[in-house]
Amino acid sequence: MVEVKLHDIGEGMTEADINCYLVKPGDFVKADDPLVEVQTDKMTAEIPAPRSGVIKELLLSPGQTVQVGTTLLVMEDRSGGDHSAEFQKGTHIVKNEAEPAVAVLDRPAQVRVPVGVSARLGQILASPYTRKVARENGVNIMEVKGTGPAGRIIEEDILAFVKLKEAGVANTSKPGFEHQVPNVSEAGSELQAPTLSEAGSEEHDSGVHKDTLPFRGRRKQIAKKMVQSLYTIPHCTHFEEIDVSELIALREEIKAAGNSISATAFFIKALSIGLKEFPVFNAKLDEENESIQLLREHHIGIAVDTPDGLIVPVIRNVEKMNLKQIHGEMKRLTKLALDDKLTVKDISGGTFTISNVGPLGGSIGATPIIQHPQTALVSFHKTKKRPVVTDQDEIAIRSIMNLSMAFDHRVADGATAVAFTNRFAQLIENPKMMLLELM
Amino acid sequence: METALQTKTLTLVQAITDGLDTMLGESKEVILLGEDIGKNGGVFRATDGLQEKYGEDRVIDTPLSEAGFVGAAIGMAVNGFRPVVEIQFLGFIYPAYEQIMTHASRLRMRTMGHYTVPMVIRAPYGAGVRAPEIHCDSTESLFTHMPGMKVVCPSNAYDAKGLMIAAIEDPDPVLFLEPMRSYRSSRGEVPEGKYTVEIGKGKKLTEGEDVTVISWGAMVPVAMKAAEEMKQKGVNCEVLDLRTLYPIDKDLVIESVQKTGRTVIVHEAHATGGTGSDLISLINDEAFLYQKAPAERVTGYDTPVPYFGFEDHYLPTPKRVAAAIEKVMKF
Repeated sequence: MVEVKLHDIGEGMTEADINCYLVKPGDFVKADDPLVEVQTDKMTAEIPAPRSGVIKELLLSPGQTVQVGTTLLVMEDRSGGDHSAEFQKGTHIVKNEAEPAVAVLDRPAQVRVPVGVSARLGQILASPYTRKVARENGVNIMEVKGTGPAGRIIEEDILAFVKLKEAGVANTSKPGFEHQVPNVSEAGSELQAPTLSEAGSEEHDSGVHKDTLPFRGRRKQIAKKMVQSLYTIPHCTHFEEIDVSELIALREEIKAAGNSISATAFFIKALSIGLKEFPVFNAKLDEENESIQLLREHHIGIAVDTPDGLIVPVIRNVEKMNLKQIHGEMKRLTKLALDDKLTVKDISGGTFTISNVGPLGGSIGATPIIQHPQTALVSFHKTKKRPVVTDQDEIAIRSIMNLSMAFDHRVADGATAVAFTNRFAQLIENPKMMLLELM
Repeated sequence: METALQTKTLTLVQAITDGLDTMLGESKEVILLGEDIGKNGGVFRATDGLQEKYGEDRVIDTPLSEAGFVGAAIGMAVNGFRPVVEIQFLGFIYPAYEQIMTHASRLRMRTMGHYTVPMVIRAPYGAGVRAPEIHCDSTESLFTHMPGMKVVCPSNAYDAKGLMIAAIEDPDPVLFLEPMRSYRSSRGEVPEGKYTVEIGKGKKLTEGEDVTVISWGAMVPVAMKAAEEMKQKGVNCEVLDLRTLYPIDKDLVIESVQKTGRTVIVHEAHATGGTGSDLISLINDEAFLYQKAPAERVTGYDTPVPYFGFEDHYLPTPKRVAAAIEKVMKF
């Protein structure tokens, strides 16, 4: 018998929902055949068969949320014997498929968490007795600032906190309660409270109405990745404006001929051409081995805004694609993203990322956060008609799009980033130049 | 506890002699055995005059064979006697350890309660009297580890006699630790006749709200001295004399520690595996939420007790105890 369990299919997941079983008892499956489809915070994934055999029993029903390690189904192994080792191998294959993304998140030890966060998560210094006093007084010890040795919270801190809270000024949301809060107990709490809430103090408990959003699932994943990226990569953002008038005209021509290719597809192709010349932006910094790996394949992630948050499906091997193929793949992935049907393969392995915020309206610029461990990310902003001084010193109305390019300053310098965006601008401003590259 | 009206002022060792005398006089089942305890009255004169008074059949000089006479006493106890054996120094008990651990302490269990071993093993223990090596051991926790063996340790004359009588009357084997450093260092009022100090009950020597200081035997005066010093500094110590090391008076300890929230344990035995560790575990189990500071231990060091030139450096002193009290107060 082989028990097929839910394993971590990447990103350090801990649980998943069962979408559906793809087999039924009695079915014969070959190794790596998909058995069950699960939905994690970020993606839909299929759990493959660790080896060939006959399905004996399905243990769960669709809709159930299960923890990693839960047995999903039992299958009978044709050849018999213990196959835990093979099962391990089976899981490994899946991991390999998702290698780049997994490689990042498999090493949580490297993630630097801000000190304040860990201090708040359980490093509160207080003796058991102090904790007891806090509990008996209904005080959340995390809100109290300690005045004892090494900042330890002592009994007096709790009692002072209680006193001030009774006086109506203690905050309940801010960790690190200051003892130097003006003593208003003499002024009378009834008078003081409305004044504070009028002043819009969010820290004041009474008088502030708030809604609470859950901080888990995709939102939490995004937060985790953002923190990892921002605390690892020294970000530098370079801004550029691009004249897309010619590109718009070209698209009209193509459209008239019966083909619709989005501007983003052109951007992606132009970026890919640029990346060939400036491979440092399609690279991965390997600090451990002191090397920068220049990646030959251009797997371009496209940030897609979904109701559940940002998700980044990846167009693979853009360097080998023509504009039509890029356009088609982009449409396909965007739809999957909006339908929440992306698989682990669709979202992993990116080497460079773009974010097209134009349709949403932002026209000036942004400081995008790089997808760790990539080295760069380009945001395209809203195209606007603006007056421009031409080479002939005349004022003309042109369609201008701003671009923000964030790059890892450890790996590349500003000059290279400027050269890269210049090359990109050259291709977009004279789109027929791209023909030369496509020949 | 019965209290006689008449009292006399005795040293701790005299109180022990008085207790033995009382029980020898009361019951013919009480027999004393040991090396040189008869004519010589024992190495510390604890049995002085008793052979003369009760005869060679009641107070027996044995060969130099701890395993032999402890084993013999176990046999006598099982057969209706109440033997009290003297080990000259606790450090000499190891040849008899096998008899104690595999027979004395577990016969009641092994016979499903049909037999008990009502014997007492007297053993002077501890450092501070300038004795040679092995004569100064304080290895009480070797005996508290095995259920079935009771371990008592008086710190004063009154308790010494009362505990001795209670130990002789107890149906189970009792290791009776005698702090030789305290044998003659002070005197106390001791009632004449028979009275007992209950085994398993400690005693609160001083009332205090700030810190509980727990000790026993020869360390009680040290703890008391430190507590007096701390009182000058405004710290009120509640000093407990544990008196029985097995079974420990849990109620006394927990009640006090829950009140003060701070603990200092003083014993001259080595720190590792010492009774202090057990006390901290007990406090952790029963009074965790009352702790304002981690419990401190002031103990001998993890070395054999050194030769007399260094003995004073090994033993806890009032200064060391006071420092520990300050430490838990300032935590």
